[in-house]
Amino acid sequence: MNLRVKFTKENYLKYISHLDLMRLFKRAFRRGQMPIKYSQGFNAQPKLSIANPLALGIESIEEYMDIDLNKKIPEEEFIKIMNKELPEDIRILDVKYLDNKKSISSQIRWGYYQIKVRIGKIKDVKLLESLIKEWLDKDQIIIKKIKRKRKKIIEKDKDIKHLIGNVTISSEEKVKLSDSEYLVTINCLLRAGDNGNLKPTDFLEGMDKYIDVDIDMDSADIKRLNMFSEEKGEIKKPM
Amino acid sequence: MIDIDKFDRALKRVEKPARYIGMEKNSIKKDLDKVKIKFAFAFPDIYEVGMSHLGLHILYNLLNNEEDIACERVFAPWIDMEEQMIEEELPLFTLENKEPIKYFDFIGFTLQYEMSYTNIINMLYLGDVQILSKNRKETDPFVIAGGPCAYNPEPIADIIDFFVIGDGEEVILEIMNKYRKFTESNSSRLNFLKEVSKIEGVYVPQFYRIDYKEDDTIDKMNPIVEEASKVIKKRMVINLDKSYYPDRLVVPYIETVHDRIPLEIFRGCTRGCRFCQAGMIYRPVREKSVNTLLNMADELIKNTGYDDISLTSLSSCDYSELQSLVLQLISKYEKEQVGVSLPSLRLDSFSLDVLKEIEKVRKTGLTFAPEAGTQRLRDIINKGVTEEDLTTAVSYAFSEGWSTIKLYFMIGLPTETEEDILGIRDLGYKVKDIFFSMPKEKRKGNLKVTLSASCFIPKPFTPFQWIGQNSMNEFNEKIYLLKNNIRDKKVTFNYHDSKLSYLEAILARGDRRLSKVLIKAWEIGCKFDGWSETFDFDKWMRAFKEEGIDGDFYALRNRELDEVLPWDFIDIGINKEYLIEEFKKATEEELTRDCRLGCNNCGINKSFTGGVC
Repeated sequence: MNLRVKFTKENYLKYISHLDLMRLFKRAFRRGQMPIKYSQGFNAQPKLSIANPLALGIESIEEYMDIDLNKKIPEEEFIKIMNKELPEDIRILDVKYLDNKKSISSQIRWGYYQIKVRIGKIKDVKLLESLIKEWLDKDQIIIKKIKRKRKKIIEKDKDIKHLIGNVTISSEEKVKLSDSEYLVTINCLLRAGDNGNLKPTDFLEGMDKYIDVDIDMDSADIKRLNMFSEEKGEIKKPM
Repeated sequence: MIDIDKFDRALKRVEKPARYIGMEKNSIKKDLDKVKIKFAFAFPDIYEVGMSHLGLHILYNLLNNEEDIACERVFAPWIDMEEQMIEEELPLFTLENKEPIKYFDFIGFTLQYEMSYTNIINMLYLGDVQILSKNRKETDPFVIAGGPCAYNPEPIADIIDFFVIGDGEEVILEIMNKYRKFTESNSSRLNFLKEVSKIEGVYVPQFYRIDYKEDDTIDKMNPIVEEASKVIKKRMVINLDKSYYPDRLVVPYIETVHDRIPLEIFRGCTRGCRFCQAGMIYRPVREKSVNTLLNMADELIKNTGYDDISLTSLSSCDYSELQSLVLQLISKYEKEQVGVSLPSLRLDSFSLDVLKEIEKVRKTGLTFAPEAGTQRLRDIINKGVTEEDLTTAVSYAFSEGWSTIKLYFMIGLPTETEEDILGIRDLGYKVKDIFFSMPKEKRKGNLKVTLSASCFIPKPFTPFQWIGQNSMNEFNEKIYLLKNNIRDKKVTFNYHDSKLSYLEAILARGDRRLSKVLIKAWEIGCKFDGWSETFDFDKWMRAFKEEGIDGDFYALRNRELDEVLPWDFIDIGINKEYLIEEFKKATEEELTRDCRLGCNNCGINKSFTGGVC
């Protein structure tokens, strides 16, 4: 029985890693006595797969995972039992039994993020929108990716232009902090999944590199709002 | 509550923010305005270490079971968090309500190892609490401590208001009762201390005066207030089977050192290894019944969701009904993918059937502790295992498919010679030979033998408490001798830092004159001394020098049998004569039998249990 689960990961729970989250679900399933299937072998693990793991420090109001159950539990009952076992900041929003076995990880193509960040060195926040537009019109957007291979640190250039979709600045949420500093809310659609993936922090880094403003990386509050699959060029909800 | 904006900013800049967020399953957050007593349970190391400590879970739940008590946890913030806290001016806070520890009625430290003492000082400092007991004012928290290191409380006597000696769950509610009465009265801090000093097992260091002889040893120790008794008798849970044990545990979000259910199967140990402090101070053996344990396991699995139960004790293979317990646990939980693990395997009681059962669910590396390289030396320390025990156990393990074996040893044991040292290598090689003497098709996996040597630290309340530790030079020579003689890819040799062991020896058997050295060391910058990346020996040496204290006096000196030892005022239930007798037997290479085979008259059954162990 393949069940797709939509859930949130908010507030301080953004500070627990992907592995922590897997452990947390595993324990919550056991407490809730969910008939979850286990893999074979000495180190048997429950069959659960979380799509496109969030980086530490990023919240989400829409995460997905697929799990495999030994027997069918009615949807409402599943949500009720699990939400009792899960911490408040992880809520199951919706579940759906799947007919096909196409895994969630292979379906996800886009992530939609909200980034709240302090931006300095701008006289007028309206300018920012045109600056971003100019930036996205460039042929290439190169950022430095640092890869660690054993003890060696390798720097590599990466063109991220094709990984960036729609970018908007939320108009109602611009807070002027001082003459040249604003708290800005940026919404951006970024590639996610196996065929190209862009982290929102790398997106910010690209902005910082190309646009002549001061982005206070430390101040960034990032939240994933949606995840999408893509079929024939059309963006779709995964459930 | 601390300033949450500041807290949020700090979290963004540290490596593992989840250490500081709390909110775990089964954590208990009460309205602090509605309770009578606020108790901060303080563990002087990072979250991952502290959360693996069983005592924390017992006391946390026991205290929170009382409606008018809120017990909250606080751990030592790691260096990066400390920097952020200082920058943001955030005082040290508890995880549950994010409340500064200075607003608590009690800050209770658990003393698991000596090298965490500077962290205690640092935590008080970060919490805005006076470091010295004598400087605390009427409204300040009481800083209290317990745990194994409290059996020699003297090195931190100037810092701690009072100690609890023995099993904490036996005493803590009595202290809370006294405090309830205290809050209802108009009494003073001093009077409360006098009141608690009447409780058996409670030690208030400021109520004692210590006179020293000209040679710097102790002349006498006497109470200076009427309420304080000359001898502090340890407190002990007599019926462990009926004693309090939590049915739930706080389940951390992040991976901790022991990420599993600790099921305490018994306390105490009958083996009588002469180097082992735990084996003496936790006497007598008190077992829990299989039934109780099965019920506990059931509740704990249901309430935590853990998939691993660890049967903990000082020597789990000695549990009288181990086989029955393990078989029942495994048959009950195998289907649910819950495993059982056994730490502290002993070579002799190595029960093949039990191991086979455990192996069904999960297979990990095997660890044994022969402790010394030759039979002569193993006899001196009364470690009753033979080489045959080791070869039998290892042969079996290899035939069953294990290929990773770890052997623990100590170097610097009394009377040790070069032969004993090289005996460690020989045992390692023997294990390797056993593996390769099996026909090739039967060998499974890639053999890895690890020989791990720690530096022997003489501890209070052991038959070796009078013995001088090896000097760091002696340790290093022995380590190099072994290192140079182990030349085999399959055999790895690990060893402990002799500098750390030297300091540990000083603190383990120190007196209260060391308090000022500890504070000085902390002032110079020592903290997290148990962590190799932060341990700074030179700073410690500077602290000793600046305070004019000679560490060798505590660590290296052979003490006379009639010397007054700093911890002599504590009664652990074992006669000093017994320890002396054991010390003498050691020098004659004479063994003492396991208590279960017949009483050795250590005195514990006369002190506590009315004649039975």
